[in-house]
Amino acid sequence: MHYTPTLDRTFFALSDPTRRRILELLAARPATIGELAAPFGLTLNGVKKHVRVLEQADLVVTEKVGRARECRLGPAQLQDAARWIEDYRRAWQGRLDRFGAYVEHRQGRG
Amino acid sequence: MRLDLEFTRLIAAAPEEVFDAFTDPAGQQAFYGQDDPGWIVQSQCDLRIGGAWTVDFGPSPRELYRHRHVFEVIERPHRLVLTTTETRLDGSSFDTQIEFTFEAWGGKTLMTMTHRGFPTAELREEHERGVPNALARLDRLIQLSRTPAYARHDPAL
Repeated sequence: MHYTPTLDRTFFALSDPTRRRILELLAARPATIGELAAPFGLTLNGVKKHVRVLEQADLVVTEKVGRARECRLGPAQLQDAARWIEDYRRAWQGRLDRFGAYVEHRQGRG
Repeated sequence: MRLDLEFTRLIAAAPEEVFDAFTDPAGQQAFYGQDDPGWIVQSQCDLRIGGAWTVDFGPSPRELYRHRHVFEVIERPHRLVLTTTETRLDGSSFDTQIEFTFEAWGGKTLMTMTHRGFPTAELREEHERGVPNALARLDRLIQLSRTPAYARHDPAL
């Protein structure tokens, strides 16, 4: 299995429900920090902190537009994360299958 | 929100036999085995509440993963609950809880493994959308079980 620091940041970024909701909103359209703050009743600083975590995981990119900072979805890291889950799942299912085959083979010999 | 990943396997043996094999050194070796030449499994198990089952496994002495399971519940032959720490090659680790159940099922045993506390529910759900229902895979698993692809461990290592 392959792990990267980026993947760690992705998992951390996605571990918070507010940050996941921000991603859902940005999937619909780009939004400013102020627009993101309104639905959550958060302060601008509160949203900035969440956006910074998402930025560090490349899930979101921000750009200064006039006086506001616009946020939009960043280069997709979710595929890497989904692949990690798939590898993880395959490893554990493989262990269970292998163990089952071992027990059945032992039974056959007994 | 539930954070579970579930895996199942129908095994042609009684729950007692499956449970005992799973808590036996050879069965534990099989669980972590691979067919790859030189694959290493070093397993030590202290089967009691609070006891640890520690496994180092991997393709070479320089590339070993560690799983440390602590027994929280031991109910022979139906249930085991373990708190598991998975340590990566870079030394970082994460914890999950794993429950194993062993249910009599048509003369066989349905062994179910449930991981709780998985990193994010969103990713799990995304992942499961692309995976057929576990029970629907049972027929295929039964067919696969005819192949004696159990653990291989090179005692020279």
